[in-house]
Amino acid sequence: MKKGTALVIAVIAGFLGIFLLYPILYVLKEAFFSQGTFSLAYFRNILANPTARTAMANSFLLSLATTLVTALLAIPLAFLTTRFRFPGKTLLTGLLLVPMIMPPFVGAIGMRQFLARFGSINLLLIQGGLIASPIDWLGSARFWGVVLVEALHLYPIFYLNASAALANVDPALEEAAANLGSSRLRTFWRVTLPLMMPGLFAGAILVSLWAFTDLGTPLIFEYRNVMAVQIFDRTTDLTDNPEGHALVVLMLLITTVIFLTSKRFFGKKGYETVGKGTTGKAEKELSPFWGLLAMAAVGGVVLVACLPHIAVIFTAIREKWFMTILPESYTFQYFEKALGHNLTLPSIRNSILLSTVSAFLDIVLGVTIAYLLARRKFRGANLLDAAVMLPLAIPGIVLAFGYLACFAGTALDPRLNPLPLLAIAYSVRRLPYMVRAAYGGFLQISQSLEEAAVNLGSGTWRTVRRITLPLISANVLAGAILVFSFAMLEVSESLILAVKEQYFPITKAIYQLMGRIEDGAFMASALGVWSMAFLAVSLLAAGVLLGRRMGQLFRI
Amino acid sequence: MDDIILKNVTKRFGKTMAVDNVSFEIKAGSLFFLLGPSGCGKTTLLRMIAGFCELDEGDILFGARSIRAVAPGKRNTTMVFQNYALWPHLSVHQNVAYGLEERGVPRETIRRQVREALAGVHMEAYEFRKPNELSGGQQQRVALARALVVKPDAVLLDEPLSNLDAKLRMEMRREIRHIHDETGVTMIYVTHDQKEALTMADQIAVMSMGRVEQIGTPQDMYRSPANIFVATFLGEANLIYGELVAADGRYGSLRTPLGTFQGRLANREMREKDAGCCMVRPENLHLAGSGENQIPVQVADIVFLGEAEQYLLQADTTPLKALAVGAGAGVVKGQQARATFTAEEALLLPARKEGEP
Repeated sequence: MKKGTALVIAVIAGFLGIFLLYPILYVLKEAFFSQGTFSLAYFRNILANPTARTAMANSFLLSLATTLVTALLAIPLAFLTTRFRFPGKTLLTGLLLVPMIMPPFVGAIGMRQFLARFGSINLLLIQGGLIASPIDWLGSARFWGVVLVEALHLYPIFYLNASAALANVDPALEEAAANLGSSRLRTFWRVTLPLMMPGLFAGAILVSLWAFTDLGTPLIFEYRNVMAVQIFDRTTDLTDNPEGHALVVLMLLITTVIFLTSKRFFGKKGYETVGKGTTGKAEKELSPFWGLLAMAAVGGVVLVACLPHIAVIFTAIREKWFMTILPESYTFQYFEKALGHNLTLPSIRNSILLSTVSAFLDIVLGVTIAYLLARRKFRGANLLDAAVMLPLAIPGIVLAFGYLACFAGTALDPRLNPLPLLAIAYSVRRLPYMVRAAYGGFLQISQSLEEAAVNLGSGTWRTVRRITLPLISANVLAGAILVFSFAMLEVSESLILAVKEQYFPITKAIYQLMGRIEDGAFMASALGVWSMAFLAVSLLAAGVLLGRRMGQLFRI
Repeated sequence: MDDIILKNVTKRFGKTMAVDNVSFEIKAGSLFFLLGPSGCGKTTLLRMIAGFCELDEGDILFGARSIRAVAPGKRNTTMVFQNYALWPHLSVHQNVAYGLEERGVPRETIRRQVREALAGVHMEAYEFRKPNELSGGQQQRVALARALVVKPDAVLLDEPLSNLDAKLRMEMRREIRHIHDETGVTMIYVTHDQKEALTMADQIAVMSMGRVEQIGTPQDMYRSPANIFVATFLGEANLIYGELVAADGRYGSLRTPLGTFQGRLANREMREKDAGCCMVRPENLHLAGSGENQIPVQVADIVFLGEAEQYLLQADTTPLKALAVGAGAGVVKGQQARATFTAEEALLLPARKEGEP
């Protein structure tokens, strides 16, 4: 191993050690050691506490219900879009992904208005004759309110995994089953579904972990008795009450158990596509009638999925809205007010700064790590790979809690200035995506492309700069946009780490505005609309800036 | 340009000997083929000359200069990759210009030389296309231009035609040979296709399991292979095993269950009582001839090949093949016949005795 490589690996290992492993180990230590001796007392207290026990059960059910609803939504969609052609398909499949980039936390604010006792949805249901009396979505049925908002936000993740898995199933395998006399349903059950299982597992795991640890949505719906909110409530008295540490450890334990058991049952078998002689695309043209029906179905999902964001917009611009499906009159005063408020402008600036810094940090870290993993052989490569993927299994709330606990009193203390830690937290959490995106790029480009440059006289660095980087730039850009958008919308870390108002990122500012009695929801919604607009513009700008080159690169 | 000399070159991958103590010389300006089945070490050898693979033992010299410690980019040996390895984000022009830029050639000169190189492979009309807008054959030509434009000391070609269809492959064989003759550059060409090697090469080194079995011109290798492996790898061969009953250094007699045959000896070390093998090419086995060696056979089947007919013969339990160009040998399926060949057409190769390793 060259000296330079060793140095780079040492720096990366140091970074991951300090900002990923140390906070978790610190929380573990605090949870298991009372005044220097090993003790399970905190866990006994927590488990004896009925509120905490219900919180655990609620979180678990919430995660389960969300995953099921998501699956029911995503699997049929995956089938429709990978196996059939129908009018408007390209546009609609693109729109299907929109909810992923919009924060569920902001959507939840709007949905509160739609889901109110005499809100739009109840009124629609009553007028349609589906229900007799309004459902109390925000009261007794708020569990389902949270599930609805989370499922509408998370189904794209499931959908992407399911359709990728389905696209990988060689149609010849299904034809072989049909050829031997199997009915369509039986073929699906015995051949297609088992082959899709790894992809479905991946989707389910991501969705269930997200739902299990989501802080923003339950907080806005005031569904406080879930683990995430319980942990959040305990961040204020961190030093006096170590029960928070124990709760965090429990959450980590449960997520790990979910992760490992489902991996054991579903994730074991990965199926490679059997042969290269595929029968080509198995997309079937639907008849006009069924085609329109398919279009309506996918369009309907898009519309429903955008409900929370439509609701946010309505909430922000309504003037009078009572007992009607849509507002009676509109106003734009809250947009101005929201920008004029002393919380908002700094928060927008903070968020843009944080997102940019974390995206750059992840580009540097992610591309370097992916390069090492893909192109260099070194001892400990497996370990580095595992460490980099660890944040996938570690909830943001756990990491934020760990940061708050272990960096207290140091130069990085988030109570003084949370910006460095926020930027680091955002990038650590999204590092796996960046590494995967770049690693995929490195694997896609044949090593002979680099060898050809070396062969003609280029050094290592020049080869990387002139050949490798341009070739993976589409992957890197996609990863960076992902990191940037996720950072803009990150909820748990922002809520926990940002304590001083001047350092609030957008999400925390929205949460703070929600607390204002008279016009809080409107102001928060207005800021939500602003942030959605920022996001749309930044994504668009990236697309336009690199549009042509991006298109070319994707055609390789 | 210098001769390329390989001295005791050895490479292990784990326990397998990828290249096993290989030594030979490649004359400057020749079109040299490394031929062998997959896994024989030919590509490893090529990559060692290019510098992508380090030697465990031995040395590689360009003339008198060892290049073991020279970086791949400083060897001035350019490579044409099996998958062409054209950079998809750069245009044809930029691809070809790359090596010149690395060598610090002035921009105007680069432009001119790239044009000339592209004209040399008939690709001047495609200068500003992207590689993915070209067909496989066109990409191949660009890859050649990119390798040639820097005026390398040697061009290394790694199975360059294996991704092309049969017709295009024939065309490119002639083209590469033509380019070689025009430029006079040393070319080292790796392939597993014996036809390619026979039709194009100045010299062929046949490799098997990391070793060089024989080196020579296509004609010599085909007519006088050194051993059974080379005989069967280059073209088709009838083999009849037996024991030498006479050997005078140049000619010998081999007693086999099918009769005793006169033939040329493959080498001077072959002695009486040695195990041997009589090798006859199908086109040298005549069904209507009068050679001194004769075998009674039955015509088991006749295969029409277009320009020729192939006869599958059964001599006692030994299957034989004969080939007759044009009108055919005038025999029918099932018929008894007499297969003949002259002593000049038979080659007696060394063989292992039963029970010997």
